[in-house]
Amino acid sequence: MCGISGIVHSENIGRNLFNSIRNLEYRGYDSCGMAMLQQGELDLRKNVGGIDEVNAIEKLDQMQGSIGIAHTRWATHGGVTQENAHPHLSPDRKFVIVHNGIISNYQELRERLLSQGVVFESLTDTEVFVNLLEESYSKYNDLEKAFLAALGEIKGSFSIVMLSSHDPDHLYCVKKESPLLLGLGEGCNYVGSDLNAFLEYTRKAIVLDDGEYVVLGRNEYQIRKVENGELVEKKVLHIDWDVETSKKGGYSHYMLKEIFDEPQTVRQALKIPREQISGFAEMLTDATHAYLMGVGTTYYVANISQYFFSTLANQYYPALSSDEFSVVRIESGDMVLALSQSGETYDTKTSLEYAKTHGAKTAAVVNVMGSAISMMVDQVIMQGSGPEICVVSTKAALAQTFIMLRVALELGLMRKQITQKDYQTHQQDLESFPQMVEQILNEQSGFVRNIARATSHVEHWLFLGCGVYYPVAMESALKMKEITYQHAEGMPAGFLKHGTLSMVEPALHTLFFVPLPEQKVLHDRTLNAMEQVKTRGGTVIAIMFQGDERTLAVTNQAIQLPQMSSLCAPLAQMIMAQMFAYYAALDLGRNIDKPRNLAKSVTVG
Amino acid sequence: MKAVILAANRSTRLSPFIETRCKPMIRIAGQYILENTILFLKEAGIHEIVLVVNHQQDLIRRYFGSGKIFGVNLQYVVQDELQGIGHALSLCQTSLEKKPFLLVYGDVLTDNNPFLSILQTYSEMDREVALIALPESSKEFGNVYLDHEMKISRLVEKPQANQANYVFAGMFVLFPKIFDLLEKNQNDISRCYEQMIEAGGLQACLWEKGWIDMIHPWHILEANRMLMSSWKTAEIDASAKLLGHVHLEGAVRIGSNVTVESGTVLKGPCYIGSDSYVGNNSLIRNYSAIGPGSIVGYGSELKNCVLFGNNDVGRLSFVGDSVMGENVKSGSGLTTVNHTVDYSLISCKSNSELIETGLTKLGAFIGDSVSIGARHTLGPGTIVESGKIIADCITL
Repeated sequence: MCGISGIVHSENIGRNLFNSIRNLEYRGYDSCGMAMLQQGELDLRKNVGGIDEVNAIEKLDQMQGSIGIAHTRWATHGGVTQENAHPHLSPDRKFVIVHNGIISNYQELRERLLSQGVVFESLTDTEVFVNLLEESYSKYNDLEKAFLAALGEIKGSFSIVMLSSHDPDHLYCVKKESPLLLGLGEGCNYVGSDLNAFLEYTRKAIVLDDGEYVVLGRNEYQIRKVENGELVEKKVLHIDWDVETSKKGGYSHYMLKEIFDEPQTVRQALKIPREQISGFAEMLTDATHAYLMGVGTTYYVANISQYFFSTLANQYYPALSSDEFSVVRIESGDMVLALSQSGETYDTKTSLEYAKTHGAKTAAVVNVMGSAISMMVDQVIMQGSGPEICVVSTKAALAQTFIMLRVALELGLMRKQITQKDYQTHQQDLESFPQMVEQILNEQSGFVRNIARATSHVEHWLFLGCGVYYPVAMESALKMKEITYQHAEGMPAGFLKHGTLSMVEPALHTLFFVPLPEQKVLHDRTLNAMEQVKTRGGTVIAIMFQGDERTLAVTNQAIQLPQMSSLCAPLAQMIMAQMFAYYAALDLGRNIDKPRNLAKSVTVG
Repeated sequence: MKAVILAANRSTRLSPFIETRCKPMIRIAGQYILENTILFLKEAGIHEIVLVVNHQQDLIRRYFGSGKIFGVNLQYVVQDELQGIGHALSLCQTSLEKKPFLLVYGDVLTDNNPFLSILQTYSEMDREVALIALPESSKEFGNVYLDHEMKISRLVEKPQANQANYVFAGMFVLFPKIFDLLEKNQNDISRCYEQMIEAGGLQACLWEKGWIDMIHPWHILEANRMLMSSWKTAEIDASAKLLGHVHLEGAVRIGSNVTVESGTVLKGPCYIGSDSYVGNNSLIRNYSAIGPGSIVGYGSELKNCVLFGNNDVGRLSFVGDSVMGENVKSGSGLTTVNHTVDYSLISCKSNSELIETGLTKLGAFIGDSVSIGARHTLGPGTIVESGKIIADCITL
């Protein structure tokens, strides 16, 4: 995945364009560049590295001009080199473009152009398009026509923004399958891969749909369909995200900032109208078979939800990983509920398409407005968690879990598995949860940090839990792996004695997610597994609740949460495990917000 | 922007090292705490510094003078009576020209420059900022609660045992209105912070690197370890003499005119201050800081210890997990026992109060100008008050 951005203004925009691309850095960060039009000439600067590294060499923020485009890259085609970085310039230096997506027929186009004597500088699919532009412009001598003619030749998924010295006042943009949004300012306009590109400058946005192109001026814009040139009327959205939520404030890492933002995201999740929640519950009731789907963290959120539906609504819905969804034979009348933070996840999108073509109803919980998944499903809940910049998901994952808890509760009431009175009690528990989150984040920080610091050297972990705490353990193990690069395996606590127990020795560390003592069956089973580890000399660390003396006696170290409702207990433990992974990674000096080899949303297969 | 450093306080809990010096003039890893702070301020572009002084102020004035050789301009404000932080700050009002300023507690030590972070947060948020950190235990500090925007929403001075919040790290960017608040609250600084929090003004800036507030004597060892851990290279002055076979490992720092005799092993990180002498076959292990003008006799072992300077450690001694004040002389065969037989937690008797250190390894704290005769053994956590003379331990 990559991030693209463009600005048309009447004043110098070097600094703004630089800030804009910096705000998109989490979308890709192996190379970046900017191109601006200065006195009729295109100035292009790009290099390998993160935004600040490239800026130190290329002085991107000092570029001059009132119109420009920028790109931050996460390589898919062609290695990480200066030549392969975007923007790409045409041989005659009259056209420059940035591109997000994949031009699938670029090999054949490249061969045709090579046979015509065109010399390529890079190995990217993108450079093909800039050559096509030059070729078609020489034919039509009209920029819009040339743009459309070049578009007619390429296949695949692409969002492209073009700047040309033939038209110093406009950017030419097109959207197909990769996201692209317009931002509307006063006497200036913006285009970007997501809202973060221009949230600092304007709150008015337009989400482009597939097959639409835009000629974007500083005071005007025209959105048309690529296929027939028809003008399209679009709704202007007013974004209510707080700009400050995308700034780091006093935090040294976005991850911790986003963890501390969790009380607020849960409050947002509580504000989602009940009709939307019950809409999901109705869909589930109406379905012949219903499936929960996600991948990575969202798969674990689906797993946690599985337990919510079972305990609150007496319904079993299988949770499946999006990339393995083909195991299901979808039939008309079925339903798929997908979870995706970015709404662009390739595997989830593909599986939803598969489900739709086989007649299933689809629903999704998504964080990013205007994203592909939010547009393609029959019903969507926008979780409104605000931008999440750290590559690993914390607040968005928690909010999704919380929303699924609300859906399960609603379904339980609908299916008469819980009484109105119970529903009310549970609702009160949910409403008091943000306050609880605030308390535990603040009061437990030091304890969590001390344990994480003392154990950060541990290379092998088992994360164990029973019942709903089991998928919590799996999700927490994933967090640990993502940012510490240490091995952590999530597993049902009862599973331990069926094999993995052979690994236990003093160096092996276990992190147990211990239920409330009142959840007696789960609690006893967990304690049993802890004792098995303890007697074999393994190290036992627990995330548990205060007043649980039996558990405390078995642990080497413990994070003790205040007593709370059993409904919210697994969510609180999820938060503690996020902090635990954070402080361990901090002690190890890892690149927490941008772990190696990972990107925010995986838009490739 | 100007900075105010509070350096007047006399904290008895740091006894036996506080009678003859003020906290900012404790030398850690070869450098005074105050020097560390001033150099960080200078690096952050702050050259105008107001120093509030009282206890042992001559030491500060003598060493820092006008600040010129450190590249800063120092203004001294004397707090005649030690009436707390609020009072100390109130004395600086006229020096600060009604502009935002940095307030720095003089007994805090960090391993990286915290002022760059706090000033960045201030420039981003344009609000009053407090640096916050996460210590091993938060019970000695002002515990803060953070809201989702990282503003401080509550301050708890005496937290409960089951709490471990972020705490005030002793550095702030404040606005001149603090002086009105101080006046209103009779110089009660905590009350002022609380009112700033209630008015929604105090932004937090998180400090996740090394941070130590010097409260008890063993914090000197902790601070020494923190600073030395950041050393990456060995630095040996050209005038130093390493005679015969001297073995060096890691980040060893040796000052001018030092002599190290043959057979000695130096394991970094360690520091030997100028004009010192280390006898034959000694073992100077990691995190040992030997202050200038010291003598370490033949066959001695030093480990995780701070010698303030002009010390004389007699032959065949062991000094571990211990601090020696200035001008301490010990005869041959001194042993600081640095753990109990069963490695239980060690407590320290300071000002007739028994304090749990939470440590299983701790030696002795020997005040300035103590003379210890030959063949003495000091138990874990022993404090020897300044000036004491202990006769030789002679069996016949």
